[in-house]
Amino acid sequence: MSETVQQTSAARAHNSRISGLEPAAAEAAPPASRRASGGGSVLHRDRRFFILLLLPGVVVSVATIFLPVLYAIGLSFYQANSFIDTPVFVGLDNYVRVLSDPGYWHAFFNGLIYAVATVVLQVVVGIAIALILHQPFRGRTIVRGLALTPYILPTVVAVFIWKWLLDPNYGLINAAAAFFGYPNIDWLGSPLLAWSSIIFVSVWHWTPFVTITFLAALQTVPEELYEAAKLDGAGPLQQLFFVTLPVLRPVLLVIILLRTIFMFNKFDIIWLMTSGGPLNATEHLPLLAYNKTFMEFDIGGGTAIATTSFIFLTAGMYVYLKLFPLEDRE
Amino acid sequence: MSLRKFLPVRSGVIASLVAGLVIYTLFPVYWMVVSSVREKAKLFSTEIFPDAFSFESYRTILTLTDFPTYYLNSILVTIATTLMTIGLATPMAYALVRGKVPGAMLVVRAMLFAYMFPAMLLAIPIQVFLVHVGFDDSLISLIFAYSSFTLPLGVWMMWSFLKRFPFEIEEAAWIDGCSRWKAIYLIILPVTMPGVISVAIFSFLLAWSDFVFSLILISRDELKTLPYGLSSIVTAYDADWGVIMAGSTMISLPLLALFIFLGRYFVAGLSAGAVK
Repeated sequence: MSETVQQTSAARAHNSRISGLEPAAAEAAPPASRRASGGGSVLHRDRRFFILLLLPGVVVSVATIFLPVLYAIGLSFYQANSFIDTPVFVGLDNYVRVLSDPGYWHAFFNGLIYAVATVVLQVVVGIAIALILHQPFRGRTIVRGLALTPYILPTVVAVFIWKWLLDPNYGLINAAAAFFGYPNIDWLGSPLLAWSSIIFVSVWHWTPFVTITFLAALQTVPEELYEAAKLDGAGPLQQLFFVTLPVLRPVLLVIILLRTIFMFNKFDIIWLMTSGGPLNATEHLPLLAYNKTFMEFDIGGGTAIATTSFIFLTAGMYVYLKLFPLEDRE
Repeated sequence: MSLRKFLPVRSGVIASLVAGLVIYTLFPVYWMVVSSVREKAKLFSTEIFPDAFSFESYRTILTLTDFPTYYLNSILVTIATTLMTIGLATPMAYALVRGKVPGAMLVVRAMLFAYMFPAMLLAIPIQVFLVHVGFDDSLISLIFAYSSFTLPLGVWMMWSFLKRFPFEIEEAAWIDGCSRWKAIYLIILPVTMPGVISVAIFSFLLAWSDFVFSLILISRDELKTLPYGLSSIVTAYDADWGVIMAGSTMISLPLLALFIFLGRYFVAGLSAGAVK
């Protein structure tokens, strides 16, 4: 996002440069007549023209994003026991009920641990892979492409591949374990193993995003910095920690922020791997919201969970951006 | 310096790291394909390179389940979503970059913020609303629901592409007597094509892969899209892993093909803000 900020100011400068070129009078001329004259007047800026271009997209995004979110917040103040029920206003009751349920906090911390664990692992593994792919070797371009494959696959496919590999009775991984004399392991059977499996599959599936972003950023580190570090006697690890990572800190901060947001919101991978089991052990807030709404038909409760989850996320983003302001970095 | 002695060791280390990386990324995908073409009798075989192949799993999923219907639904919904996203996002991004529209930056920021909304915060109210107005369980509502995440992404990506564009060229075209539309068509469109292709690829990828929205918005079997359809085959038919892997391979094929032929746009899009 730091790059964005930079580009934004560049764009602003660019715009003001153009408006400097433009005679102020053009702004005041009636747009319709100019359009009718077939672009006779050069450098016109027709407000109505741009609003026309903006309007369809704005209408659709308001209808499919902003109104639904407002509607969800509204629903969280009502009680309804089915989709066709007439909702009854209950004020903050849903919030009180939902937040005083220990299951909510269990799910909250599950989600938090899942997000933190997967983000840390994605970043570490992603950087390691990016560093390998940054080395010169034959076939590098092809390997860089291949390394993206897990990210391209639909989540459903990634989950089914790994559920097959991890199958307790016939999976390849247990077959390999048996070969070395280990007993069959039920990879999704206990809370700890289920979480480990979910985290592993998530990291396998989404790490290429970090790899690609970090790899692109690596090309921008000036070679002179490494030369200077080498002259000072820095080894490869010291170069990584004292040159590469500090220079790429802004990129890393953005990657961590974005990955955390998306891992906190991820629903499908856990739903497909365990559906929250065994015995709610892998339930997190999106799953809880889904179950409340579509299994218990408690729409007020479900929307209250979704809303609070989003409030926590926004608060977390706010704290993160206060701690690590992206704005004043290059 | 012992550079000459050091280099072979170093390249040996790199070679084994790269080999390890390729196995880690690709072996599971390879295993999917191999399992899908294994003979039924040998489904649980651990042979890495099977010597006989069978397409029975493909025949099973294509003839005994609704998989072909899911496939058609997915093609329809994905293409419609992609076209709608390009059709709405491109003019929007152009106006946001070019027009002195009041609050343009606010719209851009709102779009970025919207892209972070949890799927549940969107899918639940959309479904409740659709049930209320009696328009639930339809592919059209699914397409519009998909735009709730493809549109913010599309606007954001197009905006990042367009703001780097030297618009002096467009102004030069006006001076040469081009109308506004003609300048967009002749000058802007060709240059922004890479951006449009990237947005198309990501809209395609997101719509094709989506599981959450179809799980929530679709209930009739004949309207399911591939990811949800495949997962319901797994629960409903007690399908064996060969059949599931055949389905998984067929779902992945269009995406892998897209990536092989348009990979560079994919990477360009990733760096321009595709983040999910």
